[in-house]
Amino acid sequence: MKQLAFTIYILFISLASVSAQKYFTKTGYISFEAGTALEDIVAANKAAASVLDAATGQIEFAVLIKGFEFRRALMQEHFNENYMESSKYPKASFKGTIANIREVSFQKPGNYSITVKGTLEIHGIKKEITIIGSIKVSGNTIQTLAKFPVTISDYKIAIPGIVSDKIAKTATVSVNCNYTVLK
Amino acid sequence: MKKGKRVLLFLLAGLLLGGGYGYYQYNRKSPDVKAERAAITTNAPALVAAFSSDEPSANRKYVEKIIAVTGTVTGVKIDTAGQATVFLDGNDPMAAVTCSFYDTETATVKKLTPGQQVTVKGVCTGKLMDVVLNKCSIVH
Repeated sequence: MKQLAFTIYILFISLASVSAQKYFTKTGYISFEAGTALEDIVAANKAAASVLDAATGQIEFAVLIKGFEFRRALMQEHFNENYMESSKYPKASFKGTIANIREVSFQKPGNYSITVKGTLEIHGIKKEITIIGSIKVSGNTIQTLAKFPVTISDYKIAIPGIVSDKIAKTATVSVNCNYTVLK
Repeated sequence: MKKGKRVLLFLLAGLLLGGGYGYYQYNRKSPDVKAERAAITTNAPALVAAFSSDEPSANRKYVEKIIAVTGTVTGVKIDTAGQATVFLDGNDPMAAVTCSFYDTETATVKKLTPGQQVTVKGVCTGKLMDVVLNKCSIVH
């Protein structure tokens, strides 16, 4: 009887440790669109870092601003030097919590819709935001997907009048990260 | 009248040159890093150590520069879209070098195995968890 209780205890502990897994990636894909009818503006970063704690629902992302690649070199220069001032503010980050983490079963493959609340920091300015996204669980790997708007003026990014009708007031950010278990 | 014509011609030439230059600038592509020569040659542990000890000065020295980094492959990742990434040992438990490759390099990257020594050329974008290189290709 005592042995059975012990076995159950061990089973419980091992199950708990499975669900307490952390996931990470260093090769997350984060892109944004900020174009208008006059100009097509798209940039992508293929080396975003992200960590997700399955037990607490804490999730973090970070990107290097200089890692965003544009099709036009001039656009990339303006983005870094004039708008994002990336020498002064080299990183952008998001730190938040998945509010409905209990609804995500990391043991059961499938698509789960998530609501993430947290702080987005761009250009040295921090803002509280809520993002609706999803987690795709498939075996030992998971994928996070999200698309959300970022109002450029919220982050004190100054767009000069001469190009203001070419650049959208609100950029659309897309997140697509594939995680593996952090050992 | 003759003088006026000359001024007009001058202005027109200026406009054409300016417009041409503007058009050239607008359409300018990012340089092909594969074809460019590396400005700095180093190894992965030295690069990681430079960023860990003094990030601002390492940013000034390496960021936006084409650098050739030699190191030991610890991992190769090719995602479903064919995007290839190679990790080089930084002799540091917390930091390595993440090398994000050109889409055209996937076949070459596939042949790499952990433990192998390689020299990778790319543009340094700074340090997150790892020091990150973009637009990478393999030198040898």
